[in-house]
Amino acid sequence: MEFLQWLEQIPFSVWVREAPTAWAYPTVLLLHTAGMALCVGVAAGIDLRILGLAPSVRLSPLEKFFPVLWGGFFVNALTGTILVMQDATSKLLNVDFYVKMVFIALAVVTVRLIRKRVFTNPRVDDGPLSSDAKVLAALSLVFWLGAITAGRLLAYIPSFA
Amino acid sequence: MNLAHVHLLLNHTPTIGFGVAICLYAVAFFGKNETLKRTGLVLLFLAAVLAIPTYISGNFAELRLCPDGQCLPGVSRTLIRAHEDAALLAFCVMEITGFMAWLALWQWRAWQRVPGWNAATVLLLSLVTFGAMANAATKGGSIRHSEIHATGEVVAADQTESGSQPAEEPDATASSGDGEGTARWLGEVMSGTTGVPWLWAASETVHFVGLCLLFTVVLFVNLRLLGMAKSLSFVSLYQLLPLGMIGFGMNLVTGIGFFLAKPAMYDTYVFYWKIALVVLGGVNVLYFTMLDEVWAVGSGDDAPPMAKSIAASAIVVWLGVLFCGHMLPFLGVSF
Repeated sequence: MEFLQWLEQIPFSVWVREAPTAWAYPTVLLLHTAGMALCVGVAAGIDLRILGLAPSVRLSPLEKFFPVLWGGFFVNALTGTILVMQDATSKLLNVDFYVKMVFIALAVVTVRLIRKRVFTNPRVDDGPLSSDAKVLAALSLVFWLGAITAGRLLAYIPSFA
Repeated sequence: MNLAHVHLLLNHTPTIGFGVAICLYAVAFFGKNETLKRTGLVLLFLAAVLAIPTYISGNFAELRLCPDGQCLPGVSRTLIRAHEDAALLAFCVMEITGFMAWLALWQWRAWQRVPGWNAATVLLLSLVTFGAMANAATKGGSIRHSEIHATGEVVAADQTESGSQPAEEPDATASSGDGEGTARWLGEVMSGTTGVPWLWAASETVHFVGLCLLFTVVLFVNLRLLGMAKSLSFVSLYQLLPLGMIGFGMNLVTGIGFFLAKPAMYDTYVFYWKIALVVLGGVNVLYFTMLDEVWAVGSGDDAPPMAKSIAASAIVVWLGVLFCGHMLPFLGVSF
């Protein structure tokens, strides 16, 4: 608890939380939303394609979009850490925050598995996709949806301390 | 000039403009002229796009006519409420019509013809929309044009209004929305405090999911045109466009819900910009739906400069929408 209070009180956290400028908290939160659009936007597109949407889009070139996905993810890991720091005593004592982290961890695992199982196959566009790939894609969609929902609800669910 | 002027200017598009579009489309439909049919569909779609700022500016016009809840002399709140409800209904059917008209354009590009079922659906929907819009326009006109309705009507409306004044005090028997009409009632339901408590948070979540789906398409299509993953042909990515429309639709429904709950909160430049950018986004999607030069971008091709600039503008426009929406609580009226 003392550590959490210390985290909230370091000058950077105070600046993000209290500086009367749009460059502080508003910009950090904006980047967090934009990062979500990049990361989940690309992930959802790949998942939906694997599940059968837009079948004439070939899968293998979509691999080029993974850097966009990870770019968005990196921005969100960074801005997310800042957002937690400046409100540590509330966020880190909120069950919903850990629910969100679990969803994100599971979503990252599915994205990595999809990359490994689906995109390393050079003949991926030659035949129907395995049911494994479809299960992974469906799970990935569910996990990202869970992460977004839990993230949004952080603004509404009170912390336990 | 204020937002009331803007509303008066814009409201001719979904009414008179839509009337022109419907005539053109009907002539083309029965005359079986494909080019004219597509022109009609474009106009129907654009009318639906411009109906968004028209509907929204209506609420801002009310805030100018009735600042701080006190209406200017000769302005009847009852007439405004009647207009608002008629306009909300017309707006809803207009957006459905616009979506189906866009789908017809999309189908034409993909299959070189619009399926009969959708061509007929658009005609039918646009007739319903025209009726609803004419009704909304008539009710809107009567707010400031005493010459067009019988004197008794205003007197009756004003009496109802003055009769309802004492009921503004807290009244345990009053139902939610206190008889102020459907649009206000929906706003109360959405607001969370008087309505369904979880609806606002749930709508925010849906708004985020819709944003992600819209960005799926914005990123895949536009980054490809700008040179990423060039082995994808535009024809294949074209299949994704309806997904972006669905994402936009989710956000239009939830967004209008937020707006209905607290219209005054959105009466700020950040939000005007957001809506202006949404209109630009609507025009932008027409380029990808209609133009031959972008359709011709095949596997491995470099997109022509025009397609690249439109692609870049699409990314800027939608990031701008995201920026304005996000910055509302910080740069706009405090939430």
